[in-house]
Amino acid sequence: MNLAKLKKNSTGYLFLAPFIIGFLIFGLYPVINTLTLSFTDATLMSKSSHFVGIANFKRLFADEVFMRAVGNTWLIWILNFIPQIGIALLLSVLFTSARLKIKAVGVWRAIYFLPNLLMPAAVAALFNALFAYYGPVNQFMVRADLLSEAMRFLESITVTRGLVVFIQWWTWFGQTMIILMAGMTSIPLPLYEAAMVDGASVWQMFTRITLPLLKPILIFIFVTSLVGGMQMFDIPFLLTDGRGSPLSSIQTNNILMYMKFASSKGHIGAASSVGVLIFFMTSICALGIFYFLRDKDMDDKKPAKKSLFKKNTVRPQS
Amino acid sequence: MKRLSFVLSILVALSMLLAACAPAATEAPVATDAPAATDAPAATDAPAATDAPAAELEGTLNVWSFTNEIKTMAIAFQGRHPKVKVVYTMIPMTNGEYQTKVKAAAGTADSPDVVALEAAFVKEWVESDLLADLNDLVPLTETLQTYPAVVEVGTYEGVTKGFSYQATPGAFFYRRSIAKECLGTDDLAEVQAMVADMDKFVETAAKIKECGTGDYYTVGTGGEMFLPFLSNRSEPWIVDGSLVIDPKIVEYVHFAKMMRDNGYESGATQWTEGWFAGMNDTLKDANGTPKKVFSYFLPTWGLPYVLSPNSTPKDSTVGTGGDWAMINGPLSYQWGGTWVGALDGSPNSELAKEFVKFVALDEENLTNWATGVYTNEYLKAIDPTTPDDQAQAAGDFVSSQVVVEKITSSFDDSTLATFLGGENSYGAFAAAAPSVNGALLTGSDDAIQRALNDPLAAYLSGTMTEAEMWAAWLDAVRNEFPDLIIPDAPVQ
Repeated sequence: MNLAKLKKNSTGYLFLAPFIIGFLIFGLYPVINTLTLSFTDATLMSKSSHFVGIANFKRLFADEVFMRAVGNTWLIWILNFIPQIGIALLLSVLFTSARLKIKAVGVWRAIYFLPNLLMPAAVAALFNALFAYYGPVNQFMVRADLLSEAMRFLESITVTRGLVVFIQWWTWFGQTMIILMAGMTSIPLPLYEAAMVDGASVWQMFTRITLPLLKPILIFIFVTSLVGGMQMFDIPFLLTDGRGSPLSSIQTNNILMYMKFASSKGHIGAASSVGVLIFFMTSICALGIFYFLRDKDMDDKKPAKKSLFKKNTVRPQS
Repeated sequence: MKRLSFVLSILVALSMLLAACAPAATEAPVATDAPAATDAPAATDAPAATDAPAAELEGTLNVWSFTNEIKTMAIAFQGRHPKVKVVYTMIPMTNGEYQTKVKAAAGTADSPDVVALEAAFVKEWVESDLLADLNDLVPLTETLQTYPAVVEVGTYEGVTKGFSYQATPGAFFYRRSIAKECLGTDDLAEVQAMVADMDKFVETAAKIKECGTGDYYTVGTGGEMFLPFLSNRSEPWIVDGSLVIDPKIVEYVHFAKMMRDNGYESGATQWTEGWFAGMNDTLKDANGTPKKVFSYFLPTWGLPYVLSPNSTPKDSTVGTGGDWAMINGPLSYQWGGTWVGALDGSPNSELAKEFVKFVALDEENLTNWATGVYTNEYLKAIDPTTPDDQAQAAGDFVSSQVVVEKITSSFDDSTLATFLGGENSYGAFAAAAPSVNGALLTGSDDAIQRALNDPLAAYLSGTMTEAEMWAAWLDAVRNEFPDLIIPDAPVQ
């Protein structure tokens, strides 16, 4: 009997197998191996290594370098995420609006998405050349009397961080917009039509219909962006000297990890300890987002679809 | 249900990512193996196979380097040993990419057989247990009279693991036209007297600034002068597990600040557009005012690889060639150089050793290398797939005193002599080479020195005080060297 049951289910397991195997080899094993390495003094240049307990972790907190990298990462991610989600929401509301009926939405969508197709290395190299001391931005600004003399842009913390934030925003808001638009077009149109008949304003429709029904999509964007943001590497690495210059102001978690990995002897043990801490930090934050944004209605086990406009009794338009 | 489907969708996305990554990682070795099998017969009909070696070598050798220089040698090596196939991989050194890739590959199945190692990190490798013992080759250095510093750098605790085909004494290159205009002479000895030591150098810098009414800079960047100061320290960076901040380092930092504050340097970053522009007189400030750079601190290889190729602007045929002169400058120093070593445990260890011997310790190869025998046509005859720009121009300064003495006179009317207004650079380098000191290099130099760039730039532009600069640098060093004892900053 059990065998028959297993046979019946085996097709499902068969479909699951490729992912599970892939995950075990490329997902779980590296995580466990990193965790093991983080307790050793392993380097790439020597064949033996020793268990050193939590010495690697202690060193991370001995000076401000690690905490500064964590701070940089969060700062750059938050500064890029707020305008990214804001503008993506605005644009996707405009593009999916039944009232505005904007033409050639597909073309706009493609244009906004295009920066995402650029190679980060090329973008970073381009901005590095543009903002060099003898570069075109200085030439233009000085000759247009916007600056009195050439400025060392890439030695200014504000400008350099601003550039990273801008590049991250510019390459990713199109992608976020497309996901949001997909979510919005899946919301049944009759809901909006009913709301319009009831005299709801655009803002009311947005906060009472769009946002609640978009929540799963928003959580998805939030979590993927957070994970991506915590692992930010290519743009800040290539924009300046690969060490997060100036004054380590764009030195992110991953750049610090890479620096330890790429240092004279290739201290993979010390680098792993940074990786482990990033892993825990990101996991805790992602779980936190799931918890705080969970569907509270489902916890009550009372489907409350009716209460969509519960508190807001529709008033006659004034 | 909704949540489940969401989790599933993340998993699908993840698995797609993994699927996308997986084949990319495994493709590489397949790609390198394929041409090895097909190209082998093509290499056999090479013309240079006349001097048949005692035992015919065969096999495939993986060589990694950070420039295309050694590729020329690799092709020449195939010319001598037609049954050998060299698979050459070039990875640029930008931001330490090459160093990291080699470190990660060593000891794995993808490990190269021979690696090229730059002066900044050669000691790291020589001090590690990853390179093969090449002591068998040391007697050859006596026959060739290889400059002692070159061998010393490749040696650790009595075991020599790397050899170099170059010696790299440094020099000071200046523009004859500016010297005549501002200093009244372009004579080598008289200009040398005006920059004989650091004090005189600063006096001359002031003169040049005044003479050019601010449009002439003495050097492109203060960073060029780091190596001259570094070579004149009394102690290496690390002594008995402790970081040493030599007085010369403090002196350099103050000197660089003085050069920047007084406007004696252009403010360009080394190895960037603006720095190169000064070599061909196309440097313009943001207002479009043309600026001139009087001099460059560059070593032997800087002449054929950096200064000469960049002396003509991209959109013009008229450059600064012929207007340059070369002298010792205020400080004698050495800068860079490429060593080659064989990886320990390589399945091709005999072949790898033979390749190192050919590259660094073969009189015929070194002579060909320095005198411009390896032209593109020569290489194409051995391997028809050679790229059109692959060739070795005459002028690289080689590590063997025997070879240097034999060929110096051949440079009297070379293109490089024309470039230097008739001066034979080879002879000048030959005079400087024996005094080079190899003992100051340690395995940690690269990381320590690169950590200084960012704080120093901040100090020079005024965004950091000197005390903050030292503290930031020491923090960065501490983070890269978990076990190093770090002294107090020179200024607090």
